[in-house]
Amino acid sequence: MKTAAGVLGKVQATRSASLWNDAWRRLKKNKVAVISLIYTLFICLVALLANHLAPYSYKDPIGDPNLFSTLFPSLKFPFGTDQLSRDLFSRCIYGAQMSMSVGIVTAVSSLVLGLIYGGISGYVGGRLDGVLMRIVDVLFSFPSLLLIILIQSMIGRGLLGIYLALTIVGWVSTARLVRGQVLQVKEMVYVEAARSIGSRGTMIVFRHIFPNILGPLIVTLTFNIPNNILAESFLSFLGLGVPPPYASWGSLARDGYQALQTYPHLIFFPSILIFLVVLAFNLLGDGLRDALDPKMKR
Amino acid sequence: MRNALLPILLLLFSITSCTKAKHDQTFRFVLTSEPPSLDWSLATDHVSADILVNIMEGLVIFDNNLKPQPAMAEKWDVSPDGKTYTFHIRKNIKWNDGKPLTAHDFYYSWQRLLDPKTAAEYAYFLFDVKNAQEFNSGKLKDFSKVGLKVVDNYTFQVELSHPASYFINVPTFWVTFPMRKDIVEKFGPNWTDPQNIVTAGPFILSDWKHDAKVTLTRNPTYYGTPAIPEKIEALIINEDITAISLFETDKVQLIRRIPPLELQRFKNKPEYINAPYLRGYYYGFNVNKPPFDNPKVRQAFSYAIDRKQIVSILKGGQIPATSWVPKGMFGFEPGVGIGFDSKKARSLLAEAGYPDGKGLPKITLYFDSRDDNRLVAEKVQSLWKEHLGIEVTLENAEWKVYLKQLQTDTPQVWRLGWGADYPDPHNFLELFTSYSGNNNTHWKNQTYDTLINEGAKEFDRNKREEIYRDAQILLTEKDVPMMPLFYEAQNILLKPYVKGFQPNAMNILILKNVEMDS
Repeated sequence: MKTAAGVLGKVQATRSASLWNDAWRRLKKNKVAVISLIYTLFICLVALLANHLAPYSYKDPIGDPNLFSTLFPSLKFPFGTDQLSRDLFSRCIYGAQMSMSVGIVTAVSSLVLGLIYGGISGYVGGRLDGVLMRIVDVLFSFPSLLLIILIQSMIGRGLLGIYLALTIVGWVSTARLVRGQVLQVKEMVYVEAARSIGSRGTMIVFRHIFPNILGPLIVTLTFNIPNNILAESFLSFLGLGVPPPYASWGSLARDGYQALQTYPHLIFFPSILIFLVVLAFNLLGDGLRDALDPKMKR
Repeated sequence: MRNALLPILLLLFSITSCTKAKHDQTFRFVLTSEPPSLDWSLATDHVSADILVNIMEGLVIFDNNLKPQPAMAEKWDVSPDGKTYTFHIRKNIKWNDGKPLTAHDFYYSWQRLLDPKTAAEYAYFLFDVKNAQEFNSGKLKDFSKVGLKVVDNYTFQVELSHPASYFINVPTFWVTFPMRKDIVEKFGPNWTDPQNIVTAGPFILSDWKHDAKVTLTRNPTYYGTPAIPEKIEALIINEDITAISLFETDKVQLIRRIPPLELQRFKNKPEYINAPYLRGYYYGFNVNKPPFDNPKVRQAFSYAIDRKQIVSILKGGQIPATSWVPKGMFGFEPGVGIGFDSKKARSLLAEAGYPDGKGLPKITLYFDSRDDNRLVAEKVQSLWKEHLGIEVTLENAEWKVYLKQLQTDTPQVWRLGWGADYPDPHNFLELFTSYSGNNNTHWKNQTYDTLINEGAKEFDRNKREEIYRDAQILLTEKDVPMMPLFYEAQNILLKPYVKGFQPNAMNILILKNVEMDS
């Protein structure tokens, strides 16, 4: 005869079926997403450890420009060297640090800004919501490239300028998304229930609304990061991005563009790195979105 | 009906393709940026010059050996004391609106150049003329006292304040070209628009799409032999690599700047021409902005540059330069100037009060957005970091904007080139006098001015060489308001089926004899 303890033991042995565990399990099944996750984590690691991984400096020439200038890829220099006899492999590693940090930091900052703005707008509702969203509409119709140039001309061409410019241009769409999500969740039964038992606003926001919009937010973040990486690359290619001697993949592509037909390796390697990272983040974002969608039953 | 449409479209398509396949007789070349100005009293740069020398001419013109030859003046007399030049203007020259070209047009143009209200940077070009400098500085209000005279409709007389051996070269330069007073006064700043401008050269400015294309057409009323090309298009292309693709797909016939890495690909091809160039590339300081108000700091920065490295990056046959008068001109002094010396650079910087670069304010190096300029700037940035321990910020702007910035608020360090306006050292060294409108260093040195004036008056070649040697020592070794980096070379791509184009050491782009075999 089974004892009560035995039955209880079996109950405790089943895995807890929270949203996050469910999502993680679904994600693990998606092979493409897992590969993309591993790749993005790998690039992040490279970016963090750039100083230790790069065999040469990103800005100092290797030696006599007559000997080391613009070499094709070889065992000693896996990506070759550039016109100022700098090792392209090291420059690409530092480029990873620059591109990833710009992409991730600006995506996170715009997310935080958008979260606060959209959250307030959606939760408070009414006239404030209308006013805030009209402001967002106006900002949204601004050509982003012009806005970036404007911000950079005011703050200067340095790193701070790029971070600020991309953050300011990016928070608008996140604000809209958050506001939509908050409006949706606000009408849910459990929020009504919480209000009816007397929970205060802040408690509702933090305990009910915020966790329920987190899913879409994470997915948005995963898509915004490659967008910002691409935006920074595009700006650097135009000459508006990181100033020399800093190197991002975009500015490396720009340097390599001069020798497109004669030394294609100079533009090939940075470009393929941009491509792979953007692809990986997008595939990961797709996988996360599928995994976090509570309506999908598997 | 539907069935008939396809054959009709194919027919139309094949007709248009047929006309494209035939060789277009328009000569096309690349302009590396939008011309800042086509007003020849105001233009100071080589891009504007490319257009100006084809739509206008002056009294005198250089032949391909850079010897002055009669142009609009059929002959001239020089007085025995060397101070008075009398130019006899041809009587058959017409402006392209039909009006005859007379000495009055020269008088008006030279007056406009010297008029302080015009604020022409090149006003100093005519300072050899009697009372010209006094009039331009505002000390003299009555222009009739300046040494210019219209003797009659076709005789223009110039009186100098002192004889000058190089003076016959001066009227070849575009700022001395004649100008129509009625047109300039009628249209104001828009007088150079294609529908307003009136010219008398081998070509007419028929269209100017800003930042895109300048179109010239043959001038039927040109006084000389009619130009061979019927139409010329100058395509404004900022990116050198784009220009190369256009050249390779036969969309342009002439390029005069090749990206350093592409040079290797073309070096052995028949399209490639390498020619000497009387042009220097230098970095200038603003001697009023700290830390460059201290000559020791300027010297230190110059000692820290290894010019050989810069030249090996550019791979275009450039020549490292420590002095200012270029190779190929008399007065060239390779032994003068500051060479590469890392130890000396550091010790000078320490002597100036900034050991290892500590205590220095933020320093910005400013350059115009050209790919080779960027390479040089990055190299110099890394050299200064390596040998002085200083981090310099790089900034760049498009040519037209860049020139404006140099005039209005000169940055601490900036780059420029200087091509000879005529093949005489006076033209190169005069650039840094206190009265030169083209001197962006803000350096004013009485000793230097005196040396240049003496050299201008001197006719004995050996004495002139000595004077110019002293001037260059002061300019590039002692006070160092600027750092010469290298002398340029011309790297040209020209389609083999183009005849009649001869590069000259001053890169004067004369296109009237260009002929294209189909």
